[in-house]
This record gives sequence, structure tokens and C-alpha cells, in this order.
Amino acid sequence: MEDLIIAFLRSGTPIVYIAIAGVIAQRAGIWNLGLEGLMIVGACATIVTIRLTGSVSLALLVAVALCALLSLLLWFVVEILKANQIIAGLGITGLGLGGTSLALTAIFGSEAAVFAPHGLPRLGPAFGVFGSLSILVLAMPFLVFGIWLVLCRSRFGLRLSAAGEHPFAARAIGVSPTRMRFWALLLGAPFCALAGAELAAGSLQLFSVNMTAGRGFMGFAAVIFGAGHPIGATLAAFFFAFVGALGIRAQLLYGDLFPSSLLLSLPYVATVIGLWISARIKGPSAATNSELGRS
Amino acid sequence: MAENPQAGAQAPALDAQGVTVRYGSFTALDDVTARFEPGLIHAIVGQNGAGKTTFARVAAGLVAPAAGQALIFGTQVPPGDVPRARTAGVELVHQSFALPPSFTVAEVLQFVGPRAGLYSRRAIERHWQAWLRDIGIDLPAAARIRDLPIESQQSAEIARAMVSDARLLILDEPTAVLPPEGIDRLFARIRSLKARGVTVFLVLHKIREVLAIADTVTVLRGGRLVAGPMPTAGLAPASLSAQIIGEGAGTLDLSDRAALTGEGAARHADAGAAAPRRGEGKALEVSLLHVARGQYGNGLSGVNLDVHSAEIVGIAGVEGNGQRDLVAAVAGLQPIAEGAIRIAGQSFGREGLARRRGAGLRIIPFERNVEGLSLTSSLWENWSAAQLVGRSLLATAGPRALRRLADQRFREWDLRYRNPDQPAGALSGGNAQKVILAREVDAAARLIIAAQPTRGLDVGATAAVWDALRAARARGAGVLIISSDLDELFDICDRVVVLAAGRSVGTFAPPYDLRAIGDAMVAATARPQEETA
Amino acid sequence: MMTEQIAAVLRACLFIAIALLLCMVIFAAVGLSAIDTLRGVVEGAFFRPRAMDHVLRWGLPLLITSVGVVICFRAGYFNIGAQGQFYMGAIAAAFAAEALRGTSPLVAVPLCMLAGIVGGAIWALWPALLRVKAGADEVISTMMGNFIAALVLVHVTSGPLKDPSGSGQATSSLPVDAAHRISATTGTSPIILGITALVVLLGWWLTRRTAFGVLSGLAGRNPTMVTWQGADVERIAIGAFLVSGAFAGLAGSIELLGPNGRLASGFLPAHGFTAVVIALVASLSVLATVFVALFFGALASAALYLPVMAGLPAAAIQIINASIALFITSRTEAAENLLSRWRARWKT
Repeated sequence: MEDLIIAFLRSGTPIVYIAIAGVIAQRAGIWNLGLEGLMIVGACATIVTIRLTGSVSLALLVAVALCALLSLLLWFVVEILKANQIIAGLGITGLGLGGTSLALTAIFGSEAAVFAPHGLPRLGPAFGVFGSLSILVLAMPFLVFGIWLVLCRSRFGLRLSAAGEHPFAARAIGVSPTRMRFWALLLGAPFCALAGAELAAGSLQLFSVNMTAGRGFMGFAAVIFGAGHPIGATLAAFFFAFVGALGIRAQLLYGDLFPSSLLLSLPYVATVIGLWISARIKGPSAATNSELGRS
Repeated sequence: MAENPQAGAQAPALDAQGVTVRYGSFTALDDVTARFEPGLIHAIVGQNGAGKTTFARVAAGLVAPAAGQALIFGTQVPPGDVPRARTAGVELVHQSFALPPSFTVAEVLQFVGPRAGLYSRRAIERHWQAWLRDIGIDLPAAARIRDLPIESQQSAEIARAMVSDARLLILDEPTAVLPPEGIDRLFARIRSLKARGVTVFLVLHKIREVLAIADTVTVLRGGRLVAGPMPTAGLAPASLSAQIIGEGAGTLDLSDRAALTGEGAARHADAGAAAPRRGEGKALEVSLLHVARGQYGNGLSGVNLDVHSAEIVGIAGVEGNGQRDLVAAVAGLQPIAEGAIRIAGQSFGREGLARRRGAGLRIIPFERNVEGLSLTSSLWENWSAAQLVGRSLLATAGPRALRRLADQRFREWDLRYRNPDQPAGALSGGNAQKVILAREVDAAARLIIAAQPTRGLDVGATAAVWDALRAARARGAGVLIISSDLDELFDICDRVVVLAAGRSVGTFAPPYDLRAIGDAMVAATARPQEETA
Repeated sequence: MMTEQIAAVLRACLFIAIALLLCMVIFAAVGLSAIDTLRGVVEGAFFRPRAMDHVLRWGLPLLITSVGVVICFRAGYFNIGAQGQFYMGAIAAAFAAEALRGTSPLVAVPLCMLAGIVGGAIWALWPALLRVKAGADEVISTMMGNFIAALVLVHVTSGPLKDPSGSGQATSSLPVDAAHRISATTGTSPIILGITALVVLLGWWLTRRTAFGVLSGLAGRNPTMVTWQGADVERIAIGAFLVSGAFAGLAGSIELLGPNGRLASGFLPAHGFTAVVIALVASLSVLATVFVALFFGALASAALYLPVMAGLPAAAIQIINASIALFITSRTEAAENLLSRWRARWKT
């Protein structure tokens, strides 16, 4: 039973972090489809830096810096060059996926998986059987609460929401929606880095090409399923992770009865079903996309 | 009141010096120079497109002029710097409110307010409710903007502007969305603001309103200042009207001119003359229509409406009282819960809009740029949509033939354009509306629904729309016009129906009584509260 | 009209140039020689022996898929599931090919292609219904469809259609009946060329000579407006999705019967995304897609050349494609504004 919970927390935490980054961007009016690319950059940067220097804190710093750089590139292309958000986001994802492959080949000579000597610090024996979880898992509820405070109980959060829902209202008091989106993407970048770090260095300590396998998009879907609210998105992210963990479990246990690949596709199917459910709930007359998650 | 710039009195509330604003090759304001004394109520009038809103936005710091400057109480505000303008004491109440629909009133005020940092929801609701009470605005702080009726939303917008203790409050076309009683209440509030020492700017375009509330009036026309600031006391409406319109619409008859500028008591054009005979058949019959709440509004709870052929019927009512629901229901875009709709004698239930168009229904929609046109698509494509919807998707659509046809029709309507491949967004408002007219007001039209057809249009374009609708009536079509401008309705309609709270609450025939109709608009909205009490 | 098209070409060139600049920066950042990498790409794309063969082998299937993407994007629906629809078409065609093993090619080949068309169309139908009936955004649903289809492909090549004699690592299906192959492994063939030409013609006719073309073009820019004209938006949407899915599936069947000859797990993983980039660079014009697809076909052939001949990572091509996608939808007025503001700042 405990291992199910551990697997659940381990697989859920990266998606939660990505979903938080997605919520912040969505509030300000940006559909950040670059989350997948940002996540894998975070994962790669963490493992490669630990492998090359041994320092976890440096690794996290590098991951955050690279994610911030990519996020700001997205901001520049979408806000200054006025490109289409969705396509530009997919471009960022492609840059992330290709760039990490490229980095592996350039630094290590091939695209084979890279191992790191150690990963993120664990919680330790004080937490009993949960001691094998990384500190990022423990940090997660606090960070989610902190983001909830900022987004839903602060003037900054109100300005962010105005920038996304009714940019004219923001401009009317001299708040620039473009600048708000800048802060939103910048604020989300460390969360993308943490998501990647947890994915690669939270338990496995390895990085392989394309290891994110769509988790970034699941995080994005969690934003929609959670109606753009930080708590809702967190719960939705856990739901997708739960289905994913179930699938892996089922594949191990029942691999002979059911095709294993199809069991592995469960989280993606769950994501689609989640999208369908949230669209039905919204209905044609209810809140628009830009009004997601006000409370 | 003599202007005395050298007197040691306080600085003028607003001192505009050579303000010029350009959008590309279009000059919105051309070298506007004027001084407005503090402590008074100033009106700025002009037709649509004259530059009134642009001027208001320059004063508020929202728009940076290409040349010239605007001083607020003697302080020079850096162009386009809204926070500094607000510190100097100027606030702008926008025509289409700057309120995010999902915010509560308290959240709007907190968002605009000076206190950064974290808050608790209950604390801000308590704080702002008390503040609202202090300034005499009756609004529930916990209500969401999108749930408030229009007049309350405007109160919220005014409250928003008053958070920073403005000394100069600019209101951009505040009367456009209000019923006559609401206008009275607004003017009462403005007078109390003046009593507290606030200088008020009102952007208006009805002379009647200017004379009712303002101390001075300034006329803008075509981006230029043509008169004022001058005291309103003893001003003749006719001369003001002439200055507003200029020579641009020399062919307008007297009653159309009066309707355009809102002088005097509204009256009907053909009062006294023989009214045109309406046809026998009915272009539209709506009986006992009930529509559920949906994406087009709060629904309808019993609408009865008839439009005969060769008749123009107007629907009066504040926006949000069921007008959109009615149009959507007649169009077939909104399913009906109960009741019947007949268009040109044919009954319609679940059939879609394409079939209804086949029966002769034409719609000039509410939002020109969102519902009427695809701004980035070409003119010929925008025009051809009507031709192509009734047929199979795989039917041949030859661009060359369609372009030629569109060209022909545009020329018949005297459209100003370069070629049919131009994007619709490149046209001015009036010309864009003509594209819609060219598409909708054709020979086969039996029922034309015109929703806010002259909103945002200048004098010439407005007159063109009215002429087009009258010509359609002469051809035997029935016209249903929905407008929040009572002067317009009184001028061109043969009958006026009032829609309030989703019900039809009375039909009026000329000569129209502004008071009676205004009462009908408000009384029905009051009734439901009595019923539930 | 002419000046519009020239402007579109210049626009595309400008943003591709900016994209390549970013690529150079990225190459340099990971420690590669930017110049060498770019030279390797150009050599591999345009200057290797039998270049035309390679360009056509990669470009024609891409062209088929991207015509479908153009049609769907034009209608306003971001169907980015071309990869999944491509895979499903190939899978359906593979099943058909197995069932028809030994029959006459005149019967088998068209039927396999038909299976591919149907497979791709079905994989586009469910996101279409989700969008039209429930309002569920198609971006994520089609993206998830890509992942699911990739897993189905893994399942099919390691289960039902597995090639028992296959080597350990990569799973693949049995090779298609040799008589049914429509081209050799390395190249293309008149059949493929002919089918591609038909697809382009069909796409052009749909977008430029039918009511669907005009109405879907309007709907793509303003769906509210066509609703208020009475257009059947649902039918337009489903039609657009089905056509794009069908074309992607057809491309899948052609890859199976043609150059690939068998289903391999994870084959052509960048096909769908590249088709999307092609559609965007071509400014959603079917005729322009012809040229752009050949250009990207050349780039795709360079991907194989780079590691073998120049010792450079194939991921460089992925970077180029992604970078182009990033910048290609920028607006020229925005870029001009930026330039003039910088110029003004430098002057003062």
C-alpha cells in the first residue's frame, strides 16, 4: 500500500509543479504549450550538472536559469513579435526536446541515457518508509499554498488575472498586460525546473532523451481540468499521475492479460477524458477560458 | 464667464495645448487647444468619430499625443503615463467598462487600490462595503461584475474611478447605456460630486443632456475643436446642433438632424404627415416566447411581437433585458423553450439560420466586428458568405465570379474601398457597416433585424443606414430595429415596443412620450423584485 | 494579389533567417561549431549524390500530410495530431496488407491505401467530435492522440504484427508483400508522385473552388461571424478534421507500402510536427506547400546525412524545425515596430 502512495507522490509531484507553472501563465493570458520543453530542459540540466560537478544546488540553479531563458524567449516571441501562442509554445517544446538531445551528443558523445552519481536530497529516515522521497515532494504542498496566496489573495494576483481576462482593465490603471505576462512566465520558470529536477533526480538519477513523455502536456491539461485554479490543477495533476501509476502497476501485475503498451496509454486517455469532462461542465454559457479559476 | 488666464486663480483642471493624435495616416485629434476651469461640469460633444474618446484618453494619460501636451491642474503629465496621471488627480470612467467580469466589486476596488500585498477576502469586502457606503454608492461588495445589471456595473465603474480620490473625473459617454431615469440618477450623482469639489468632464452626444447637466460645452468635429469651452447658459440648441454636424450632412431633414443630435424632446418624423401604410402580411410573428438563460443573455419570459411588412418596428430597452436572446431565438441560434416564431408566414421551430435566411430573414448583428464581419478576411469573402451558406459545402464557389458580384453590389452601395480583396478591417466603421448592408439588405429580404445598426457610426454613415432601412420598408420588407438610442427609434420607427426583464411590456405609437416609454423600461425591471418579496 | 504573395514569401524568409540565427546560437552554446553544423545541413540537404531522389522520398509524404494540416488550420482548428493520424493510417494499412498478402497488387495496393485513409480519418474524428459536441479544445486532445497512437504502434509491432525473425532491439512488423511495394526503400516512384499530385489538386480544389473553402477560411478567422451567417459550423469542423486525418493516414500507408516496407515502432517520429511547420511556413496555402514541403524534405534527408557523413548530431534538424515553428507566426508589423523603436533609441 505504501509503495503505491510513494509511487503516486513521486509521479505526481513533477506534474503538479508543471501544472502550477501552467496556472500562473494561464491567469495572465498565456497558454504555455512550451511546458513540456521546459520540463525536459530542467531534467537534463539537473542530471548533467550533477554528473559534471557533483553539486545539487548548482544543478538546480542551472536548471532554473535555463528554464527562465527559454520562458523569456517564449515571452519575447509571443508578446513582442506577436506570434501565435500555441505554435510558439510547441516551438519551445521542440527546442527543449531537440536541445537536450543535442546537448547529450555534444557533451557525452551519444544520445544514450546519462546517469548521475546522486540525485536530489531525500527526506531521510525521520520520515520512515517515505524517507526515500525527495525534498521537492515535501516542498510541494507549501509551494502550492504559497502560489495560491499570491494568485488568489494578493493585489499582484488580481493584476495578473486582469491582464489575462480583461487586459483593458489593467491598462486603464497603468498596469501593462505585457509586463504582467513577463512576470508570470518568469515566476513559472523555477516550477518547470523543479518539475524536471524531480522527474530525473527525484528517485531515478538518470536522464534519457524524451523522458518527459507528454507529462508537460498532462500538466497543461491539468490546468484546464482544474479550471485554472492552483488547488484544482494540483488535484487534477494528481489524478492524471494516479492513473499513470495504476497503469504501470497493472502492466507489472497483469502484463500477460492486457497489452502493456495499452496500459501505459492510460494516463493519456485519462487526460482526454478529463478534458471532455471539464468542457461539459463548463458548458457554452459559462465562464470563458480567460476566466478560469477565479477564486 | 470670462476666461482670465492671468488671474491668480487656481490652475485650470485641464489645459490642453495643441494636442494632436495620429493613428497611422488617420488624424484623430488635430491641434486641440482649450482650458477647462476647475470645479465645474464640462461637456464635450461631437458625433461618433469626432475624437471625443481620444481626447478623454489623452487627458487621462492613456493615449500619448503625437504633438502637444495636456496639463492636469498645472502639472505636466508625461504622455501615456497612466499612473502619474492618476497621481495628478485625473480618472477616467470608460464607456465600455474596465471591469473584469469575473471579479467581485471588492476585488475590483482592491485591484485598483493603493495597498499591495496579501489580503483576506472577508476583510476587503468589509472594507470596501464601508467605503462604498461613505461615497454613497449602493452596491454589494461581494457581487461579481458579470452578475450586476448594466447600471450597477456603471456604478462600479464610477466607484473604481473614485478610489484614488480623483479631482478631475472624466466620464466617457456614460448615458449611452442608461434609461431616462438612470440618466437622471447619474446626473444627480454628478451634481453631488461637483458639490464636493470634483471637476467633472462628460463626453456626450445628445444636446438635451448637455443642456441638462453641463456648465460649459466644447464641440469637437472631425478631430478639431470648433467651439468652446463656452457656457451653456442661454445657448440655442439649433446653433449647437449645426456646429456638431457641420456641412457634412446637408441633405438631412430636420427630424433626422434632431435625432442625431438629441435636441429637444424626441418626436416622430412623420408626426402630422401621413404615416406610410404598413402591409397586410406579417414579416414576423412572435407569440408567448420563452427562452432559457443561455450564452445570449438571461432569457425571455413571454415576448409577443409582430412586425408587418412595410413597417419599421423598434425595440427599446436597456441592453441586457433580452434583446440578444430575442434576436438569437428568431435566428434559430438559441433554442426556444415555449412559444412560436413565424417568419414571412412560415413557422420555424428547430430549423437553423440558413433555412430562415431562405425564408427572407436578414440580420445586421449587434457587434459589427465580431458577429458581422471577419476583419482579416477579404471583402468579397465576407460578402459571399451569405450566398454560400444555403448550399452544399462541396458546391462550386468560383472566386472570380464572386468577386465580380461583390464589386457590383459594393458600387451600388457607394462603398469606399480599393478592391474586393482588401481585408474588411481596413475599412472605416461606416463603410464596414455598408458591407453588411450590401450583404443583408437585398431584394429577397422579407424581415430585416437591425441590431444597434448605427452604433459608433458618424453622421454620414448613420444617415445612410437610416435611408437603407427606409428604402427596405418601401420595398415591402418588415424591419425590426433594436437600439438603445431613443431619439433614433422615435425618428424612424412606426411603432416602438419596450423589452424589459425578458418581457415585452408595451407597444407605443407616435407621437412618442419619452416619459411613458422610460417608465415602461424601468417599471418592468422593478416588478420581479416585488413578486419575490 | 501578387504583392500579397511576394510579401508572404519574404515574410517566411525573414523569419526562417531569424530562426537559423537562434539555431546557430544554440549550436554554439552546446559546444558545436555553428558554421560546420549549418554547412553539414546544407550539404546533406541539397548537395549529396542523387539529392533529388532523397528530397522526393522525404518531401512527398510530408507534402500529403501538410496539405491536410493546411485544410484543418485554415478552418481554425489546431489539429496537431498529424503524427498520430499518420501512425494510425500506417497501422491500418499494415493490417490490410497482412490480410491481403498474396493477392494481386492491383487489388491490394488501393485497398491498403483506403485502409490508411480510413485509419487516419477515424483518429481525427474523435478529437473533432470532442471539440464540436463538448467544446473540448483540440490541441491537447490531438496531442494526447499522438502519444496514444505511438503506444498502439509499439503494441502492434511487438504483438499482433510482430516480425518473428526481427532483431532484438527495434520491434517491427512483418515486411509487406514484395509485390505490393510501391517503391524501393531508398526512393520514390511514379505512383507516389501521382498520388501526391492528386492530393495537392484535391486540396487546392477544396480550399479555392468550393463553398467549404470560402466558409472554412472565414470560420478560421472568425467562427462567430459564420455562425451568424447560418453556416453549419459543426459540419465544417468535422469535415476539416476528417480530411486532414485522411491525408495523414494516406501518407502513413504510402510510407508503409513504399520506402519503409514495414511498420517499425517509432518510425518517422518527426513527420507530424514537420508537416505542421510546413503548413505554417506556407502561410496555409496549398500551392505554396508544394515548395515548402520539398524544402523540408531536403532538411529531413540531411538528418540522416549528418551523423554518418559529417559526424554531427541529427537532433540539429529537430532544432531547426522547432526554431522555425517558434518564429514563423510572428507578425511583420510587430517586428517593424521593434526595429523602428530600436532605431529611435540608438539615434537619441
